[in-house]
Amino acid sequence: MSHSRNSRREFLRNFGCVACGGTAAALLPQLRMLGTALASTSVSSTYQALVCVYLYGGNDAWNMLVPFDDTRYNTYAASRSGVYDATNNPGGLGLAQPTGAQVALQKIVDGNDPSSATNQYFLHPAMPEMTSLFNQGHLAFVVNAGSLVKPITMADYNASSANYPAQLFSHADQTNQWQQAWAEQGVTLGWGGQCGDVLKSGNPNTQLSPCISIAGANRYEIGVATIPYQISSGGLTNLSGMCNTPPCSASTNARDAALQTLLGETYANDFAGGYAQIFQRSRDLFNLLDTNLAGTTLNTAFPSGNSLAAQLQTVAKMIKLSMAQNYATRQIYFVTLGSFDLHAGMMSGANDHAVLLTTLSQALNDFWTCMGPTDVNAQNKVTVFTMSEFARTLQSNGSGSDHGWGTVQMVLGGAVKGGKLYSNGGGPITGFPNQALNAPNNFPRGQMIPGIGVEQYAATLAQWMGITSPSDLATIFPNLANFGMGNLGFV
Amino acid sequence: MHAARKTIAYVFALGFAPLAGATVHDQVFKGRFDIPADQPASVNAAARFLTQATFGPTQADIAYLMAQGYGEWIDEQLSRPATIGEPTVEAIVNAGEKVTNAIRLNRFFWQAVYAPDQLRQRMAYALSQIFVVSDQASDIGNNYMVPLSQYQDMLAESAFLPYAQVLFNVTWHPIMGRYLNAFRNVKATIVGGVQTTSPDENYAREVMQLFSIGLIERNQDFSPVLQGGQPVPTYDQNVITQMAKVFTGFTWSDAPTNPPGFYGGGLTFAGEYDPMACWGTELFPASSNQMRHDITVKTVLRGATIVANQTCAQDVTDELAIIATHPNVAPFISRQLIQRFVESNPSPAYIQRIAAVFDAPGNDLGDVIKAILTDPEAVNPPPPCDSANCDGYGKLREPVLRLTELWRAFNAQAPAPDPYGQIAMIGNGGFLGNFGQAPLESPTVFNFYLPDYQQPGTFADNGLYSPELQITNESTTYTTADTYYGFTAKAYQGMPTPPTDRPLIDMSSLVANAANPAAMVATVNADLFYGGMSASMQSTLTNMLTNLSGATAQEKAWSAIYVAMLSPEFAVQR
Repeated sequence: MSHSRNSRREFLRNFGCVACGGTAAALLPQLRMLGTALASTSVSSTYQALVCVYLYGGNDAWNMLVPFDDTRYNTYAASRSGVYDATNNPGGLGLAQPTGAQVALQKIVDGNDPSSATNQYFLHPAMPEMTSLFNQGHLAFVVNAGSLVKPITMADYNASSANYPAQLFSHADQTNQWQQAWAEQGVTLGWGGQCGDVLKSGNPNTQLSPCISIAGANRYEIGVATIPYQISSGGLTNLSGMCNTPPCSASTNARDAALQTLLGETYANDFAGGYAQIFQRSRDLFNLLDTNLAGTTLNTAFPSGNSLAAQLQTVAKMIKLSMAQNYATRQIYFVTLGSFDLHAGMMSGANDHAVLLTTLSQALNDFWTCMGPTDVNAQNKVTVFTMSEFARTLQSNGSGSDHGWGTVQMVLGGAVKGGKLYSNGGGPITGFPNQALNAPNNFPRGQMIPGIGVEQYAATLAQWMGITSPSDLATIFPNLANFGMGNLGFV
Repeated sequence: MHAARKTIAYVFALGFAPLAGATVHDQVFKGRFDIPADQPASVNAAARFLTQATFGPTQADIAYLMAQGYGEWIDEQLSRPATIGEPTVEAIVNAGEKVTNAIRLNRFFWQAVYAPDQLRQRMAYALSQIFVVSDQASDIGNNYMVPLSQYQDMLAESAFLPYAQVLFNVTWHPIMGRYLNAFRNVKATIVGGVQTTSPDENYAREVMQLFSIGLIERNQDFSPVLQGGQPVPTYDQNVITQMAKVFTGFTWSDAPTNPPGFYGGGLTFAGEYDPMACWGTELFPASSNQMRHDITVKTVLRGATIVANQTCAQDVTDELAIIATHPNVAPFISRQLIQRFVESNPSPAYIQRIAAVFDAPGNDLGDVIKAILTDPEAVNPPPPCDSANCDGYGKLREPVLRLTELWRAFNAQAPAPDPYGQIAMIGNGGFLGNFGQAPLESPTVFNFYLPDYQQPGTFADNGLYSPELQITNESTTYTTADTYYGFTAKAYQGMPTPPTDRPLIDMSSLVANAANPAAMVATVNADLFYGGMSASMQSTLTNMLTNLSGATAQEKAWSAIYVAMLSPEFAVQR
């Protein structure tokens, strides 16, 4: 029973786009897709790709990037319930201020801030590769970004719930809001997918989606007319018992032909049709990519036992192949690293924050190397960035941290204006936040009200990809106009 | 050999007294010659019902259901004791087998295929996708595989209890404690009058967001309550911070109290699965630094107050009662159960009918599942229509269930126990990667797929949900197919060198008709499609078998099964 299907379709048809920006759009946000023809942005035909590294669970980013000067460091350490010490302070979440040889491996200076009183920071000791890339000018940090409806202060927050996004602190909802770049509930579209909608007209191969996921289904890569192509980090595998590489035996051909017929039928049932469509697409893309991908090799050795590196290795192969075969001029990739929801065991244990950041840092560094001139040679054409739903409470719960809000993200690439922190979104909250627990724009456990909206971060990346028409930007990022700056300038 | 190994009611250390066990009126051996009033309309209707209610229809179950009728079949299933796995899993470990989750999964699938309490097992599996715990968390992993298997047993034993008791059992289980961090969660630390730590908020949040009420106020038909056109949040961050104080003080049941060792215990498997102890004022005076529970007043959900200075057990009981009596629970949980058993997009009226049963005084989840399975919307699919995407009824079959349905339809024979007493079922394993799901292996607390996932295109455009399509993609279609290949073409009775790490299907009913393609297709249609295979698909498979004229009878047989299992029509439970 497709309950009220017809009436709903009828409703949508009659509705048109007249009220897309009004109340009905808030109730049925899918409405905004109707009739909003995206402008025919014409982008350069030089290859470019975005690679989103999603850190599921909420990365405790205030331990990724820490103030180095004594004044701010001491505030940080106090708010984190002291420096972690397995014996004397096992509940503390603070990192030790680096000394001696560690300083070179951890310390960075913000190139956007001339004052030595406030421009010194250090990275988590698990990330020496990122320290190096920052100091070489390839890596930037975007500081205190989070889901917002518009720029606000604590006073605005307290004044009305209409001033801030629904379901703050909830993993699923905040993940959606980051992947939508729109703090709206009930939406199904992601900002990467909508960028794909605009950009794919320039891609020579129409079979291969502009959006490619190495990490399964995600909202980020869903557009009005874009569905991500999903492959595993292991690459492609044969379909057992079917004809993968002709010629095949008569029996294998018989099975293959039957499956092809079944997948090609028209189905009345939505689920049968949805499944058939995906399976058919699997077979088409297998035929397109299998031989070529198998013949694509990389010079860079990615480490084993690093799930993110394995995904990025497949991304690197796909980028190399896509450039060589001229499949695409624009691609949008999605990879993930999970287990950041460290309510417990954040500072010790088999999978603590240090282990995760080591995994992240090494994987990103290997990918950067792989994009280098002696391998894929696309460092200036590929921009890697992180997303994660929120940072976490500065204050410890005795073993880890709980859900926060404003966070820090990383952007890496040859086109990135690196070696700098980007913390000014043009709103009332700017700069690296005061980390005192009861500072004016903090909640009591050290959850920060963001100074930069997700859409500002995302729109900056989208513009680098070539989406510059105001109407496209307004369609993809409906609240962008609420923010003073539509481009943060980091790439 | 399939009888329940152990039949105990799950007894709690604290709180609710167990209800009297459901009356056992075992009618298995009762002679029957009358036709029940609610007999399924046909053998195919019976098979369809069993596809919803069990891990797959068997010929024996179809005949039995035809003789009993729906109501009596369900009542008997509700009264069957739970088949459990932990004693077997523990014995295998004690015999010296390496501790990995393969032992647990082998036992899970053995029960799924052979346990007589099919509805209870299926309900436990559904509940495991709501009250999610997972071996993918490093705090559980392989190390706590044995108590994890007992968590599944707890769900089976709780499957038909009142919801409030299920929530209670889940909350006190140390595996849930470890998964969502109530375990060893402690009250705030105060140093020199300054609070330096606060209780962990993880369980406080997810018990409401995922296990009970969800994020916004709901009407009984699951539609959102709107104020000024906007949904109304069920709680805010202040409620979470307050509620987090309730779930403090938990540790292993066998953590020593004299001398106290809060971080000790977990010394035996029972110590690792018995309901947690809570180091509140029931164990230590409030002045003792061993008293780890927060005894301050808590202002929680809907402005309710939990008074100060209670025992931990009383605080938890109060809190869970506040949650369980929230009007959202019935529609929130009912909808997800319908999605697991019947269809992804139940009508509001269907949800409301089930929610009413859910909330009726004295009712339990046994009443709820009976109402779900006997509802007109479950029993009577809408008539077929004949244009593309005219029909949104039903659901995608879970990849795990497609495999158990194969085994049960074709009388799979499990290998003999290995020297440790383990019966191998899963072959090379890797189900989580290959299917995108495996029992108690969810990547996150949000299960393998969300109840609100909308596949882009037809589903999203029409506001329809398609949870299982979230794990269906260009990668998993292939890896799922490869897994099925390994359980059909590479695992049938009578093959020259059969594998010993998985069940072997019985293809004799197909092999006997190897010269008659139409008859083979009819068998597959009856056994896997409850007679619902379309004429065009029957024709396609018949042609395939004709074109397989050079193949052996066995190859024809597995080809028919394998291709049918990959088909869009089999992917749907309608």
